[in-house]
Amino acid sequence: MLYVLLILWIICSMLIIVEHKIYRIFIYFGIFSLITAACYMLMGAPDVALAEIGISAFSTILFIVCVEKYYSHRGGIAAYAAEHPKKLKLGKWAKRFLPPLIFCSAMLGLFIYFIPGEMVSTYLKYQYLSGFMTSVGGQNAVTAIYLGYRVYDTLFEALILVVAVVAVSHMSWSSEESVADGHHSEIENYSMAIFTLRIICPIILVFGTYVIMNGHISAGGGFQGGLVIASFFICRYLIYGIYDIPIKKIIKLEELVFINIIVVAVIAVFLGTGALIPGEFSVLFQDAYLIAMNIMIGLKVACGFTILFYRFVAIERREEVVA
Amino acid sequence: MNLFPDVFAIILFFISVFGLLTSRNIIKSIIFILLMQTAVIMFWIFLSSRFGQIPPIINDPALLYDMTYIADPFPQALMLTAIIIGISVTAICITMLNTLFRRHKTVEWKALAQCAREEAVQRNNDI
Repeated sequence: MLYVLLILWIICSMLIIVEHKIYRIFIYFGIFSLITAACYMLMGAPDVALAEIGISAFSTILFIVCVEKYYSHRGGIAAYAAEHPKKLKLGKWAKRFLPPLIFCSAMLGLFIYFIPGEMVSTYLKYQYLSGFMTSVGGQNAVTAIYLGYRVYDTLFEALILVVAVVAVSHMSWSSEESVADGHHSEIENYSMAIFTLRIICPIILVFGTYVIMNGHISAGGGFQGGLVIASFFICRYLIYGIYDIPIKKIIKLEELVFINIIVVAVIAVFLGTGALIPGEFSVLFQDAYLIAMNIMIGLKVACGFTILFYRFVAIERREEVVA
Repeated sequence: MNLFPDVFAIILFFISVFGLLTSRNIIKSIIFILLMQTAVIMFWIFLSSRFGQIPPIINDPALLYDMTYIADPFPQALMLTAIIIGISVTAICITMLNTLFRRHKTVEWKALAQCAREEAVQRNNDI
């Protein structure tokens, strides 16, 4: 079963190399991410599968939104792709494709010869699995690791998201900082997909909140829930078609939540969750810490990805204003 | 040689390297970087757990007596971080591509290199 999925996976990636039309490549990329998430589920990693699904949905929409403007002056994506594929002569084909092919096959052979192939495990698995319920709390080992044992990794990962949002605002060609209010997008509101989205949209929000709050008991957590809530805002944009999000306030909120995350994490690590609290209240304190950190991380991730999406859709796609 | 699943992840990684080296379009290069990221993450997950293992969510402490059926939680936590980093890098790459497109009106590697060369020549002439 797993091998069937993996062969489909490889075929999907080969199709991406061969294909010339850009809009097909994005669809193949979406299928590729879906197969990847299915493989993660079969290997017993539901948290990673949720995260992969979230970012594949987000990045597919990001690509489609950005790429459409590159080809609009040539008549649209479809028209551009129809004239593009040109056949190469054998000499040029050999010069362009043969050295990378030889290099990649050689490296592939070397790696397959030297890589172990059987399962590699350390004693950390037994140490974490037997001790995480009493020292960190909750029932999800992955949440206990990224919020208890290795919480500094999480802080720096949250920092990378903040840096990404700042970098997108400052490396952009346009010097605008906020979204123009009330500007209507060019999406028509009456297609069938939009009709279905109107019904599903609140359910997505409830699901995102559920994934965040139940991260320490079942699969999920702050990052996955944040991605789902960001996709709720994307659906909202697709339904209404106006930009009515105050981007500057959301940037401020994200920075404040990030500082809060750092403060709470450092204080909890130095106090030791549950060590100073007597008896049966220590479980409450442990759960409160996990839920609070998950909510803050989810809020931060949702804000970050919403800002990215609205910047791309509203500012990067704008036509240049000739002064 | 027994066909372990992590061989597929290595094959995908080198397919992506090949695609990155021979793609004419910058957008395809960005997608191949994302594919390389996915291949590395998949390789980690394949190396540390077997097909059919239970996720590490322990609702019933009796599961802990035999830990060979439970997947390793530690690489999963690390890979969660790596996935978020991958998407942040992709978002910044697309922004830089957009800026370049607005200045030179093309998204192909050779045409962009030509424009950059012409700009450098022009700057030298100005000085």
